[in-house]
Amino acid sequence: MSAKSTTNCGRTADIDWIRALYELGQKAANGAHPQQVSQEILEHIVRGFAAESGSIALIVDGTTDQLELAAGTDLPSGLIGKELPRGTGVFGHVVATGQPVLVNGNAAETGLPLRGSAERQRSTHSAMCWPLQVAGRTIGAVAVNRAETSPRYTPDDLEQGQALTSLLALVMANHRMHVERDAQILELQTLNATMQRINGMLEDAQNQVIQSEKLASIGQMAAGVAHEINNPLAFALSNLGSLEAYLANLFALLDAYVEADAAIDAPGNAALAAARKLRAGVDVAFLRSDTADLVAESREGLLRVKRIVQDLRDFSRGGAEEVRQALDIHDALDRTLNIVRNELKYKANIVREYGALPEIECVPSRLNQVFLNLLVNAGQSIDGVGTITISTGVDGDEAWIAVADTGCGIPPENLNRIFDPFFTTKPVGQGTGLGLSVSHSIVRKHGGRLDVESEVGRGTRFTIRLPLASASAPTVVSDVEKRAA
Amino acid sequence: MSSLLIVDDEPNVLSAMRRLCLNAAVLPAIPNPTIATFTSAREALGYLDAHDVDIVISDYRMPEMDGAALLAQVKERHPDSARIIMSACSDIDGIVRAVNHAGIFRFVSKPWSDPDLKATILEVLAHRRLLIENRELADEVRAQRDVILRQKLELERLERESPGITRVRWTEDGGVLLEE
Repeated sequence: MSAKSTTNCGRTADIDWIRALYELGQKAANGAHPQQVSQEILEHIVRGFAAESGSIALIVDGTTDQLELAAGTDLPSGLIGKELPRGTGVFGHVVATGQPVLVNGNAAETGLPLRGSAERQRSTHSAMCWPLQVAGRTIGAVAVNRAETSPRYTPDDLEQGQALTSLLALVMANHRMHVERDAQILELQTLNATMQRINGMLEDAQNQVIQSEKLASIGQMAAGVAHEINNPLAFALSNLGSLEAYLANLFALLDAYVEADAAIDAPGNAALAAARKLRAGVDVAFLRSDTADLVAESREGLLRVKRIVQDLRDFSRGGAEEVRQALDIHDALDRTLNIVRNELKYKANIVREYGALPEIECVPSRLNQVFLNLLVNAGQSIDGVGTITISTGVDGDEAWIAVADTGCGIPPENLNRIFDPFFTTKPVGQGTGLGLSVSHSIVRKHGGRLDVESEVGRGTRFTIRLPLASASAPTVVSDVEKRAA
Repeated sequence: MSSLLIVDDEPNVLSAMRRLCLNAAVLPAIPNPTIATFTSAREALGYLDAHDVDIVISDYRMPEMDGAALLAQVKERHPDSARIIMSACSDIDGIVRAVNHAGIFRFVSKPWSDPDLKATILEVLAHRRLLIENRELADEVRAQRDVILRQKLELERLERESPGITRVRWTEDGGVLLEE
């Protein structure tokens, strides 16, 4: 600012100085730290008016006269960003009147109508203060001061400075808009992140609805075909029992004849000869043992069908029989443990880590079924001997019950399929692939969640979460239930 | 001797149940069973017009008339018969209706377990026998009470005609003991 470094700053509307000011304004647009830019602009002005110090105050958004210190030279940095007392001082006066002031000596001498006597008495060697106005609206004020070693400013300086400060006002307004824009961008980014999170939750919820609908439609189908399947199943199973009894009779009869045969001596009897010939070609011992196997295997097959139909029918259960009542979860867990104890006793140590749980409103038989499924699964996942840990607790407004095993774990690619109906990795005949989907559906109908964490080789942990307050099933689920019922 | 009437629209179910009930090798055995089977509820009701049976076993879901309606009519016409309903579906409303209106003794779901079904039939038959016996005993008691009542009335009449006659004390040889 060589051209303006003379005592009379008004003589030159220095093009370089203006360009530099404009460039400072651009700096803010390009993402520089806003406070830093304000400070640089101020220093530029202080140099331009050959002043020793200066300050800029801006009106806080949403107010007409609340000023906030935006930049200052020779000021402790802690003051920047602080609000100034409303309507006081030279700044307050300038912003209120919209008129620039020149202060040489104290305010009283200058004739400024300042409020406090202290303010009136404060002595200033020479200072100028201009309002910063954009489109007729005051956005703040800027002030420059000279020390006693310099000549005082003149009214000419004040007037010519006025032209420059309107440019400064534009730069500051621009700068402020950039700051606001940055804040808005930040806000938008936060909003965006929230939206993404909510979106994820919606997607989750939707997946769960799809899952529930899948289960519901299977349940509906199952209820429809259960009758058709159970009738043939009934007579086929019963007939096998009768057949077994008949076969026992027939073989007993055959034995009697075979024994009697040895005692018969009738050389010319053609019927006897034919019977003996026939007997020689038939492996009676094999028939006896194989018909027993055949009946047993057929019965096992039919019993398997029976179990699948029963499991399927569980999907569509609902309504009248599902009476909710308060249940002591620990009591229920212990009773379920009694049922599976035999199956588990050679495979797993059972560790119970029960926390404090209030009674939970639920359909006890259905929840017991979930416990049973999880415990049996845990047992089946263990090769050799392992540990099954059953823990419970309260988390906020939810109760949780976790069944953890030290079994084989579930590979990640299977984790999102384990609740699918008919998905199973168990050998044929050991699992129908319905246990977990039934459990999932039961827990959902209770307004809860069934979560799984698993690590291959380390084990699996299923966590049931149930709302402590009753009847809090989400609406989407009850819609699905209605359709399923 | 137990007479059974079985109704199911599925003929194979009827023959399987007939085999099961007749087969003494599947325990518990039903003593001397006679079995009538029908695929139609109406025909079964026609049979009942002419025959007495100890127990009626009916499927729940049948065309033309369901098991609950059939057994309700059976109860009306033959209150002494025992009634069992069987079902392949878990239609709770229908079963509740059957139990409440048709006085069902037992509900059996299909597929059944052979020994369980036979045990159920025997249990229901025993229960029915007890009910009948109980009623017969009650009738007997009531009849005896009638006899006693008649004797009491006669005594009261005699007492009215000749006061003190019912309190006369007789000696062994027919003499009358007078008050001392």
